[in-house]
Amino acid sequence: MSGFFGPLDSEGRVPPRQQTRVAAFLISAHGALARQFAFALPMKLESAWQTELNAQFYHETEIVSLLMRATAWVPDLALGYMAASWETAWFPAPLEGISDRPLALAVGLATLAHAVHAGIRPAALLPVEANVHNPFVMALRRVEFESSRLLQAQILFLKGPDLMPCRDAVSSALEKRHAEIRKLWAETLEGVGITIRAGNDEKP
Amino acid sequence: MPFLSHGSYRIRYELEGPPGAPVYVLVNGLTQYAELWAAYRDALVARQFRVATFDLLGQGASDKPALFINQDDQVAALHLLIGELGDGPIFLSGISFGGLIALRYAIEHGKRLAGLVPMSCFAELSPQLLLLGNAMRTGLILGGTSYLQDLLLPMNLSDQWLAPLLDKLDSVKRQGWLVNDVYALQNLMESFLDFQPLTPQLPSIGVPTMIMNGEFDFLTPRALHETLRVQIPNSSLVIIPRAYHAFTLEKPALTADLLARFADDVLAGRWHGNKAVWIAPEEAGGELIPFPTGYDHLRAIPVQGTTT
Repeated sequence: MSGFFGPLDSEGRVPPRQQTRVAAFLISAHGALARQFAFALPMKLESAWQTELNAQFYHETEIVSLLMRATAWVPDLALGYMAASWETAWFPAPLEGISDRPLALAVGLATLAHAVHAGIRPAALLPVEANVHNPFVMALRRVEFESSRLLQAQILFLKGPDLMPCRDAVSSALEKRHAEIRKLWAETLEGVGITIRAGNDEKP
Repeated sequence: MPFLSHGSYRIRYELEGPPGAPVYVLVNGLTQYAELWAAYRDALVARQFRVATFDLLGQGASDKPALFINQDDQVAALHLLIGELGDGPIFLSGISFGGLIALRYAIEHGKRLAGLVPMSCFAELSPQLLLLGNAMRTGLILGGTSYLQDLLLPMNLSDQWLAPLLDKLDSVKRQGWLVNDVYALQNLMESFLDFQPLTPQLPSIGVPTMIMNGEFDFLTPRALHETLRVQIPNSSLVIIPRAYHAFTLEKPALTADLLARFADDVLAGRWHGNKAVWIAPEEAGGELIPFPTGYDHLRAIPVQGTTT
């Protein structure tokens, strides 16, 4: 077990089985975000903040498109049941304790997006020897970089004045989302020989 | 890897050195992690100190709160660590953000300390520091951890340190990039959004205090350290020659030597702060020189002094 992809081939490429597993997880997560942003996006924008919703939708779609094309796919029999557990985890989870249903749903989506964008760092799995000219390597760097940019909308919203009255509930829901998603991510990686610390929920 | 529990969060720490010996507790700067004190552990343990290092909340192997990190929680985490260290003398030192946490600790729990060493530190956000902090936060948001490192390296380290590393800066940055997450660094930076100056509380720090400031520190220049010197009663200011903000990375042998000498002087009853200004030697073991009488230590040119 290692904390990084490998062993790399002679051209510095990540093993296809690891590419497949990681890309499938990321496509599932970012695809779910794209779908949920699409449902939340009105045909006609009525508020300035909805421009960000539009941007999030298209960036998530771009990430999915990029990974589908940059990955060296191979058959992976475990993907069927793993994908089912991932998709279940992305289900909308409106924040309990907020009576305003649309706001509770928005907070639920924001916590999911925050956990995916902040907690999943695929480029940190790349060893220094990884070939920077390889499309999968470049795609992971791009996914991580774009995620840190997309994250800003979730930070602004979750820390914003509208949610100040329920700050503790929001923080608690977000920590829970982070723990769930990092656990899934750690399990996904463990299946292809990569070990990472699962995050704040892992006990020493 | 031992951990302490602060609420639902875990604080990773390391403790080395002879049990029962005086302890040095070292607090990381904003983008740092505990391993960066390795040279200090070796040097101070060799001089019969125990050394405690740890990752602040949001850093390295400690837990990273997802949305908010309060500086009070950092002080509480530090208090937990110091509570593990027995009843012997505790010397507390921190660099930059870590120096600020050390100052806050000394204000709240000063009686537990034998000595305090704030390095490259500040008690208030001057307009320059506020704007630099804002720019760094924007840099982090737009460019990620790597871009923040690109800003900090030339600002905080000398040409002499950087020159041999110019073609391998990516490897210099890699560990910091791996262990630090954008959202956690951002949370650490945003812990300043409601920051109140500590200056009015500095006179309550009664412990011997050695303030260390690099000669060429651009990020936290002399004036910010002067506030500490003037306000902390039993303090003195030591200027590190040819040093920038991150002199703990660049001059570990000299800095560790100064830390050990300060603690030895305090324990032997030889320390007298007197709000004096000193110039550190260029190398470990050299003599400290009093800043020349009559000249202004706040200036970069030899101007007759007017400050006290």
